[in-house]
Amino acid sequence: MEQAGRAPRGGATRPASSPDSQSVKGRGPWDTSGLDRPNTTQQAHLRSGLALLVPALLFGFLVAAQWQTQLERSELAVRYNAPLTEAARSLQSEQNTLKAQLADLRRQLDTIQANASTQTGVTRELQARIDDLKARAGLTPVSGDGVVIQLDDAKQTSASVKDLDKSICHATDLTDIVNAAWRGGAQAVAINEERIVGTSSVYCVGSTIMVNGTLMSPPFRIVAIGRQDQLLGAFQDPAQLRDIKQRGEVHGLGFRVSRATGLQAPEYSGALNVRAAQPR
Amino acid sequence: MRTPAGGIAVALVALLLGVLAVSQFRSQDVYSRSLQLETPASLTSLIATLADKNSALRDEIFDLRLRVAAAGASVSTGLFSLTEGERQLAQIRVFAAQDAVAGPGISVMLDGPFDEKAMSDLVNELRNAGAEAIAINDRRVGPRSWFAPGPAGGIALDGNRLGGPWAVHAIGSSDVLYVAITRTGGIVGQFELIYRSTRFKVSKEPSLDLPPLR
Repeated sequence: MEQAGRAPRGGATRPASSPDSQSVKGRGPWDTSGLDRPNTTQQAHLRSGLALLVPALLFGFLVAAQWQTQLERSELAVRYNAPLTEAARSLQSEQNTLKAQLADLRRQLDTIQANASTQTGVTRELQARIDDLKARAGLTPVSGDGVVIQLDDAKQTSASVKDLDKSICHATDLTDIVNAAWRGGAQAVAINEERIVGTSSVYCVGSTIMVNGTLMSPPFRIVAIGRQDQLLGAFQDPAQLRDIKQRGEVHGLGFRVSRATGLQAPEYSGALNVRAAQPR
Repeated sequence: MRTPAGGIAVALVALLLGVLAVSQFRSQDVYSRSLQLETPASLTSLIATLADKNSALRDEIFDLRLRVAAAGASVSTGLFSLTEGERQLAQIRVFAAQDAVAGPGISVMLDGPFDEKAMSDLVNELRNAGAEAIAINDRRVGPRSWFAPGPAGGIALDGNRLGGPWAVHAIGSSDVLYVAITRTGGIVGQFELIYRSTRFKVSKEPSLDLPPLR
């Protein structure tokens, strides 16, 4: 349909050159129509003018767009941005240190309990229950076969803001992928080495994404450990992740699901944050 | 016939055009993901979230240091009690949604058209605001819970249909949860614009009772 529609437009441009050739062919000793000559020259000028005009217009548009981007940047580079960026980086660095301290303390407590659990049958049974529950809650590392999902911004972005929005990864894309993984029977899921647990959230501020409070940027590698066929079935279901798949096809969003063996999902390293909720 | 000067001019324009097109694409790619280029408002929000997470980590580290010291002392004296193990078990049972729990929090009542993606987004937002336990229509949301469209237009949680109206209960700091959900431009504000015929009511609750994961 589209090509059929294009044909007449092409046909309409061609006559601009066709009369030229016809007039050259038709010009002979008997042809006294000297009026054709100035017309042909004018058309030739017009053609070269147009040939320059179109790129020049595009050039102007791009210069303006480039200048606009730089203008936005300079506006953003106001006095508060540098200290705020530094503060965010410093807090992220502090968080990494705190998580390492927490992991170390958890290991110490595990060691003490493991030693104590050899004392009596009751402590052994208690330790077994804790270990089982920890594994189910995402507090122990898991390894096994499953699928890996790669999600990335489009390599080439469009100049249009609307299209740009469709060609980059969003927090909701990650939550949809995690949802599809659980639906496919995943036993463990991790996004860029951050284990997904019952209190995990994917948070988006501006264009920055946080998972479990950790700053992240694309590409995202989501590991889903579980039965491969079942997981692939969930991701390949046409009703699942329709928006992501469509944006991948139309806007170049990077989205790929593949089988993988020997995957690793680390233990959750954040705070358990059990304070307000009390067992009944 | 085009003059050589005209050809050179066209070539130069085309060259510059190409260079600019590439730099424009690249600059947009960088712009979209650079922390340095976030707005001050976004950075402030990001910093507040990071500070909250770090504060929770510090609280837990403080608590865990005391527990490690107490557990170490009890083992060295040969009088290791079950207290530490039982305490840890209780904490993980809550974390893994294995126990019925009670505590303060908020209720979000939704009456009208709604869908599973929006419900998933609401749960994500509540978790981000620090919700410790969440239930929808008395069905607990677990660590591996998933949402799907339910039959007849409802919402399915872990394969179980939840018919509307929906009551979403979240245990945590009621003030923090309430502000996070109802702030200007927050998730409820967005829902109100998208689901215009749906009624949303958010309220602080002094005490909520949530069932265990089934």
